Amino acid sequence: MKAEENVPVRWHLDDNGVAELMMCDREHNNLFTDSFIDAFLGALSEIEKERPICLLISGLPDVFSGGADKETLLDLCDGKIVVKDLEISERLVAAPFPIVSAMQGHAVGGGLVIGLCSDVMVLARESRYGAVFMNLGFTPGMGTTELLPMAFGPFIASEMMLGGRTFRGGELAERGVPVNAIVPKADVYRRARRIALQIADKPVDSVYLLKYTLSSEKRKRLIDARRNEDLMHRITFAMPETRRRISEQYNE
Amino acid sequence: MTKEEVIEVIKRNIVENLDDVEADSIDPTKSMKEYGANSLDMIEVVSTSMRELNIKIPRSELAELGNIDELADKFMEYINKG
Repeated sequence: MKAEENVPVRWHLDDNGVAELMMCDREHNNLFTDSFIDAFLGALSEIEKERPICLLISGLPDVFSGGADKETLLDLCDGKIVVKDLEISERLVAAPFPIVSAMQGHAVGGGLVIGLCSDVMVLARESRYGAVFMNLGFTPGMGTTELLPMAFGPFIASEMMLGGRTFRGGELAERGVPVNAIVPKADVYRRARRIALQIADKPVDSVYLLKYTLSSEKRKRLIDARRNEDLMHRITFAMPETRRRISEQYNE
Repeated sequence: MTKEEVIEVIKRNIVENLDDVEADSIDPTKSMKEYGANSLDMIEVVSTSMRELNIKIPRSELAELGNIDELADKFMEYINKG
Protein backbone atom coordinates (compact mmCIF):
# COMPACT_ATOMS: atom_id res chain seq x y z
CA MET A 1 0.00 0.00 0.00
CA LYS A 2 1.22 3.48 -0.80
CA ALA A 3 2.18 5.55 2.18
CA GLU A 4 -0.46 8.16 2.82
CA GLU A 5 0.44 11.78 2.55
CA ASN A 6 0.60 13.60 5.88
CA VAL A 7 -2.64 15.58 5.99
CA PRO A 8 -2.88 17.44 9.32
CA VAL A 9 -6.68 17.35 9.56
CA ARG A 10 -9.41 15.27 7.91
CA TRP A 11 -13.14 15.56 8.21
CA HIS A 12 -16.34 14.01 6.91
CA LEU A 13 -20.06 14.21 7.52
CA ASP A 14 -21.96 11.00 8.17
CA ASP A 15 -25.59 10.09 7.47
CA ASN A 16 -26.60 10.80 11.06
CA GLY A 17 -25.64 14.44 10.77
CA VAL A 18 -22.46 14.00 12.82
CA ALA A 19 -19.40 15.73 11.35
CA GLU A 20 -16.13 14.13 12.40
CA LEU A 21 -12.92 16.11 12.46
CA MET A 22 -9.79 14.03 12.92
CA MET A 23 -6.52 15.72 13.87
CA CYS A 24 -3.99 13.39 12.28
CA ASP A 25 -0.73 15.30 11.84
CA ARG A 26 1.52 12.37 12.73
CA GLU A 27 4.59 14.24 11.58
CA HIS A 28 4.18 16.99 14.21
CA ASN A 29 1.96 15.14 16.72
CA ASN A 30 -0.88 17.62 16.21
CA LEU A 31 1.18 20.55 17.44
CA PHE A 32 -0.22 23.91 16.40
CA THR A 33 2.08 24.55 13.46
CA ASP A 34 0.93 27.21 10.99
CA SER A 35 -0.19 24.58 8.51
CA PHE A 36 -2.06 22.66 11.22
CA ILE A 37 -3.94 25.76 12.39
CA ASP A 38 -4.83 26.72 8.82
CA ALA A 39 -6.09 23.20 8.10
CA PHE A 40 -8.03 23.05 11.37
CA LEU A 41 -9.74 26.42 10.91
CA GLY A 42 -10.33 25.68 7.20
CA ALA A 43 -12.01 22.40 8.08
CA LEU A 44 -14.19 24.17 10.68
CA SER A 45 -15.37 26.66 8.05
CA GLU A 46 -16.24 23.88 5.63
CA ILE A 47 -18.02 21.91 8.34
CA GLU A 48 -20.07 24.97 9.32
CA LYS A 49 -21.36 25.24 5.75
CA GLU A 50 -22.69 21.67 5.96
CA ARG A 51 -24.80 22.43 9.07
CA PRO A 52 -24.06 19.20 10.92
CA ILE A 53 -26.12 18.56 14.05
CA CYS A 54 -23.00 17.80 16.06
CA LEU A 55 -19.20 17.79 15.64
CA LEU A 56 -17.00 15.01 16.97
CA ILE A 57 -13.30 15.91 17.29
CA SER A 58 -10.68 13.20 17.72
CA GLY A 59 -6.90 13.00 17.58
CA LEU A 60 -4.20 10.38 17.17
CA PRO A 61 -4.40 7.33 19.46
CA ASP A 62 -1.47 8.54 21.59
CA VAL A 63 -1.70 12.31 21.12
CA PHE A 64 -4.83 14.42 20.99
CA SER A 65 -2.77 17.59 20.67
CA GLY A 66 0.27 19.14 22.29
CA GLY A 67 -0.64 22.78 21.66
CA ALA A 68 1.76 25.42 20.38
CA ASP A 69 4.97 24.48 18.57
CA LYS A 70 8.43 25.77 19.43
CA GLU A 71 8.81 28.12 16.45
CA THR A 72 5.54 29.86 17.23
CA LEU A 73 6.53 30.31 20.88
CA LEU A 74 9.94 31.70 20.02
CA ASP A 75 8.37 34.08 17.50
CA LEU A 76 6.05 35.21 20.29
CA CYS A 77 9.10 35.91 22.47
CA ASP A 78 10.46 38.07 19.65
CA GLY A 79 7.14 39.86 19.33
CA LYS A 80 7.10 38.88 15.66
CA ILE A 81 3.64 37.43 15.33
CA VAL A 82 0.09 37.69 16.51
CA VAL A 83 -1.22 34.68 18.38
CA LYS A 84 -3.05 32.64 15.80
CA ASP A 85 -3.99 29.76 18.07
CA LEU A 86 -6.33 32.09 19.96
CA GLU A 87 -8.56 31.86 16.96
CA ILE A 88 -8.99 28.15 17.63
CA SER A 89 -10.66 28.72 21.00
CA GLU A 90 -12.76 31.58 19.70
CA ARG A 91 -14.01 29.61 16.72
CA LEU A 92 -14.77 26.51 18.76
CA VAL A 93 -16.66 28.36 21.46
CA ALA A 94 -18.65 30.25 18.81
CA ALA A 95 -19.46 27.14 16.75
CA PRO A 96 -23.19 26.85 16.06
CA PHE A 97 -23.22 23.08 16.70
CA PRO A 98 -22.32 21.17 19.87
CA ILE A 99 -18.81 19.77 19.95
CA VAL A 100 -17.84 16.41 21.45
CA SER A 101 -14.10 15.86 22.02
CA ALA A 102 -12.88 12.26 22.05
CA MET A 103 -9.53 12.77 23.78
CA GLN A 104 -7.91 9.35 23.57
CA GLY A 105 -4.34 10.58 23.63
CA HIS A 106 -2.45 13.23 25.63
CA ALA A 107 -3.73 16.78 25.53
CA VAL A 108 -1.55 19.51 26.91
CA GLY A 109 -1.53 23.30 26.68
CA GLY A 110 -3.56 24.45 23.71
CA GLY A 111 -4.42 20.82 23.01
CA LEU A 112 -6.33 20.66 26.27
CA VAL A 113 -8.06 23.92 25.39
CA ILE A 114 -9.70 22.26 22.37
CA GLY A 115 -11.42 19.97 24.86
CA LEU A 116 -12.26 22.85 27.21
CA CYS A 117 -13.98 24.67 24.36
CA SER A 118 -16.15 21.63 23.64
CA ASP A 119 -19.55 20.84 25.07
CA VAL A 120 -18.70 17.22 25.85
CA MET A 121 -15.29 15.89 26.87
CA VAL A 122 -14.32 12.22 27.06
CA LEU A 123 -10.84 11.46 28.48
CA ALA A 124 -8.72 8.30 28.69
CA ARG A 125 -7.63 6.87 32.04
CA GLU A 126 -4.14 6.16 30.70
CA SER A 127 -3.44 9.44 28.92
CA ARG A 128 -2.19 12.68 30.42
CA TYR A 129 -3.76 16.11 30.45
CA GLY A 130 -2.14 19.31 31.48
CA ALA A 131 -2.01 23.09 31.29
CA VAL A 132 1.78 23.16 31.06
CA PHE A 133 2.26 26.76 29.90
CA MET A 134 4.08 27.89 33.06
CA ASN A 135 6.72 25.17 32.70
CA LEU A 136 7.88 27.24 29.75
CA GLY A 137 7.84 30.44 31.80
CA PHE A 138 4.79 32.13 30.29
CA THR A 139 1.24 32.43 31.57
CA PRO A 140 -1.62 30.32 30.17
CA GLY A 141 -3.40 31.42 27.02
CA MET A 142 -6.28 30.57 24.68
CA GLY A 143 -8.79 31.19 27.45
CA THR A 144 -7.37 28.58 29.82
CA THR A 145 -7.50 30.88 32.86
CA GLU A 146 -11.30 31.04 32.62
CA LEU A 147 -12.22 27.81 30.85
CA LEU A 148 -10.15 25.41 32.97
CA PRO A 149 -11.57 26.43 36.39
CA MET A 150 -15.04 26.35 34.84
CA ALA A 151 -14.54 22.82 33.55
CA PHE A 152 -12.35 21.08 36.15
CA GLY A 153 -13.08 23.19 39.24
CA PRO A 154 -10.99 26.10 40.60
CA PHE A 155 -8.59 24.20 42.86
CA ILE A 156 -7.55 21.53 40.42
CA ALA A 157 -7.35 24.16 37.69
CA SER A 158 -5.00 26.27 39.86
CA GLU A 159 -2.79 23.27 40.57
CA MET A 160 -2.69 22.38 36.89
CA MET A 161 -1.85 25.92 35.78
CA LEU A 162 0.53 26.97 38.58
CA GLY A 163 2.28 23.62 38.95
CA GLY A 164 2.36 22.70 35.28
CA ARG A 165 2.14 18.97 36.01
CA THR A 166 0.31 16.67 33.64
CA PHE A 167 -2.37 14.47 35.23
CA ARG A 168 -3.35 10.97 34.19
CA GLY A 169 -6.99 10.67 33.26
CA GLY A 170 -7.31 8.08 36.05
CA GLU A 171 -6.08 10.60 38.61
CA LEU A 172 -8.50 13.24 37.38
CA ALA A 173 -11.29 10.69 37.74
CA GLU A 174 -10.26 9.96 41.35
CA ARG A 175 -10.28 13.66 42.10
CA GLY A 176 -13.80 13.89 40.78
CA VAL A 177 -13.15 16.10 37.77
CA PRO A 178 -16.64 16.47 36.34
CA VAL A 179 -16.13 15.78 32.64
CA ASN A 180 -18.52 13.48 30.78
CA ALA A 181 -16.45 10.33 31.06
CA ILE A 182 -12.94 9.14 31.91
CA VAL A 183 -12.71 5.62 30.51
CA PRO A 184 -10.04 3.19 29.30
CA LYS A 185 -8.38 4.50 26.16
CA ALA A 186 -9.90 1.80 23.98
CA ASP A 187 -13.41 2.96 24.91
CA VAL A 188 -12.96 6.72 24.48
CA TYR A 189 -13.97 7.02 20.86
CA ARG A 190 -16.97 4.71 21.20
CA ARG A 191 -18.23 6.55 24.27
CA ALA A 192 -17.82 9.96 22.62
CA ARG A 193 -19.50 8.82 19.42
CA ARG A 194 -22.43 7.44 21.38
CA ILE A 195 -23.00 10.87 22.95
CA ALA A 196 -22.65 12.55 19.54
CA LEU A 197 -25.28 10.22 18.08
CA GLN A 198 -27.68 10.95 20.94
CA ILE A 199 -27.36 14.65 20.13
CA ALA A 200 -27.69 14.04 16.38
CA ASP A 201 -31.05 12.40 16.97
CA LYS A 202 -32.63 15.81 17.72
CA PRO A 203 -33.85 18.48 15.27
CA VAL A 204 -30.95 20.57 14.04
CA ASP A 205 -32.63 23.95 14.68
CA SER A 206 -33.45 23.03 18.27
CA VAL A 207 -29.92 21.78 18.85
CA TYR A 208 -28.44 25.01 17.46
CA LEU A 209 -30.72 27.17 19.61
CA LEU A 210 -29.89 25.28 22.76
CA LYS A 211 -26.18 25.22 21.95
CA TYR A 212 -26.23 29.00 21.50
CA THR A 213 -27.85 29.46 24.90
CA LEU A 214 -25.62 26.98 26.71
CA SER A 215 -22.44 28.46 25.27
CA SER A 216 -23.16 32.07 26.22
CA GLU A 217 -21.27 31.82 29.52
CA LYS A 218 -18.20 30.37 27.80
CA ARG A 219 -18.24 33.04 25.12
CA LYS A 220 -18.35 35.75 27.80
CA ARG A 221 -15.59 34.15 29.82
CA LEU A 222 -13.38 33.81 26.79
CA ILE A 223 -13.62 37.56 26.16
CA ASP A 224 -12.64 38.25 29.80
CA ALA A 225 -9.82 35.72 29.64
CA ARG A 226 -8.36 37.25 26.51
CA ARG A 227 -8.07 40.65 28.08
CA ASN A 228 -6.05 39.35 31.04
CA GLU A 229 -4.11 36.70 29.17
CA ASP A 230 -2.98 39.12 26.45
CA LEU A 231 -1.66 41.50 29.07
CA MET A 232 0.17 38.73 30.94
CA HIS A 233 1.61 37.43 27.66
CA ARG A 234 3.01 40.81 26.78
CA ILE A 235 5.00 40.65 30.01
CA THR A 236 5.89 36.98 30.23
CA PHE A 237 6.89 36.40 26.60
CA ALA A 238 9.30 39.31 26.83
CA MET A 239 11.21 37.73 29.73
CA PRO A 240 14.59 36.19 28.84
CA GLU A 241 13.84 33.26 31.12
CA THR A 242 10.80 32.34 29.04
CA ARG A 243 12.92 32.15 25.89
CA ARG A 244 15.48 30.03 27.72
CA ARG A 245 12.86 27.63 29.05
CA ILE A 246 11.19 27.22 25.67
CA SER A 247 14.53 26.46 23.99
CA GLU A 248 15.42 23.89 26.68
CA GLN A 249 12.09 22.13 27.05
CA TYR A 250 11.54 21.49 23.39
CA ASN A 251 14.89 19.78 23.09
CA GLU A 252 14.09 16.86 20.83
CA MET B 1 22.78 9.67 49.43
CA THR B 2 23.35 6.18 48.03
CA LYS B 3 22.34 4.92 44.63
CA GLU B 4 19.94 2.47 46.30
CA GLU B 5 18.13 5.40 47.92
CA VAL B 6 17.95 7.19 44.58
CA ILE B 7 16.42 4.07 43.01
CA GLU B 8 13.87 3.98 45.82
CA VAL B 9 12.86 7.57 45.02
CA ILE B 10 12.46 6.71 41.34
CA LYS B 11 10.48 3.57 42.16
CA ARG B 12 8.14 5.47 44.44
CA ASN B 13 7.45 8.01 41.73
CA ILE B 14 6.82 5.26 39.19
CA VAL B 15 4.26 3.73 41.54
CA GLU B 16 2.61 7.11 42.06
CA ASN B 17 2.47 7.90 38.37
CA LEU B 18 1.42 4.57 36.86
CA ASP B 19 -1.54 2.31 37.38
CA ASP B 20 -1.11 -1.14 38.89
CA VAL B 21 2.66 -1.15 39.49
CA GLU B 22 4.14 -2.19 42.84
CA ALA B 23 7.56 -0.95 43.96
CA ASP B 24 8.82 -4.47 44.72
CA SER B 25 8.07 -5.64 41.21
CA ILE B 26 10.19 -2.94 39.55
CA ASP B 27 13.46 -4.18 38.07
CA PRO B 28 15.92 -1.26 37.62
CA THR B 29 17.56 -2.93 34.61
CA LYS B 30 14.32 -2.42 32.73
CA SER B 31 12.91 0.66 31.07
CA MET B 32 9.87 2.41 32.53
CA LYS B 33 8.17 1.61 29.24
CA GLU B 34 8.01 -2.02 30.28
CA TYR B 35 5.76 -0.98 33.16
CA GLY B 36 3.39 0.77 30.80
CA ALA B 37 4.84 4.28 31.00
CA ASN B 38 4.29 6.53 28.01
CA SER B 39 6.44 9.53 27.13
CA LEU B 40 4.58 12.00 29.37
CA ASP B 41 4.52 9.50 32.26
CA MET B 42 8.31 9.29 32.05
CA ILE B 43 8.65 13.06 32.04
CA GLU B 44 6.53 13.26 35.22
CA VAL B 45 8.48 10.49 36.98
CA VAL B 46 11.82 12.08 36.09
CA SER B 47 10.85 15.65 36.92
CA THR B 48 9.18 14.73 40.22
CA SER B 49 12.21 12.66 41.21
CA MET B 50 14.61 15.47 40.32
CA ARG B 51 12.62 17.94 42.41
CA GLU B 52 12.70 15.51 45.32
CA LEU B 53 16.47 15.03 44.97
CA ASN B 54 17.01 18.74 44.45
CA ILE B 55 18.86 18.37 41.15
CA LYS B 56 18.33 19.78 37.67
CA ILE B 57 19.48 17.90 34.60
CA PRO B 58 19.06 19.21 31.05
CA ARG B 59 16.63 17.18 28.94
CA SER B 60 19.26 16.50 26.30
CA GLU B 61 21.24 14.45 28.84
CA LEU B 62 18.21 12.40 29.82
CA ALA B 63 17.03 11.53 26.34
CA GLU B 64 19.59 8.81 25.69
CA LEU B 65 19.09 6.85 28.93
CA GLY B 66 17.81 3.31 28.44
CA ASN B 67 16.66 2.06 31.85
CA ILE B 68 16.00 2.97 35.47
CA ASP B 69 19.51 2.03 36.57
CA GLU B 70 21.09 4.40 34.04
CA LEU B 71 18.71 7.12 35.20
CA ALA B 72 19.86 6.54 38.79
CA ASP B 73 23.52 6.77 37.67
CA LYS B 74 22.80 10.07 35.95
CA PHE B 75 21.06 11.35 39.10
CA MET B 76 24.06 10.26 41.23
CA GLU B 77 26.40 12.18 38.95
CA TYR B 78 24.47 15.39 39.65
CA ILE B 79 23.96 14.66 43.37
CA ASN B 80 27.71 14.28 43.78
CA LYS B 81 28.34 17.47 41.82
CA GLY B 82 25.88 19.23 44.20
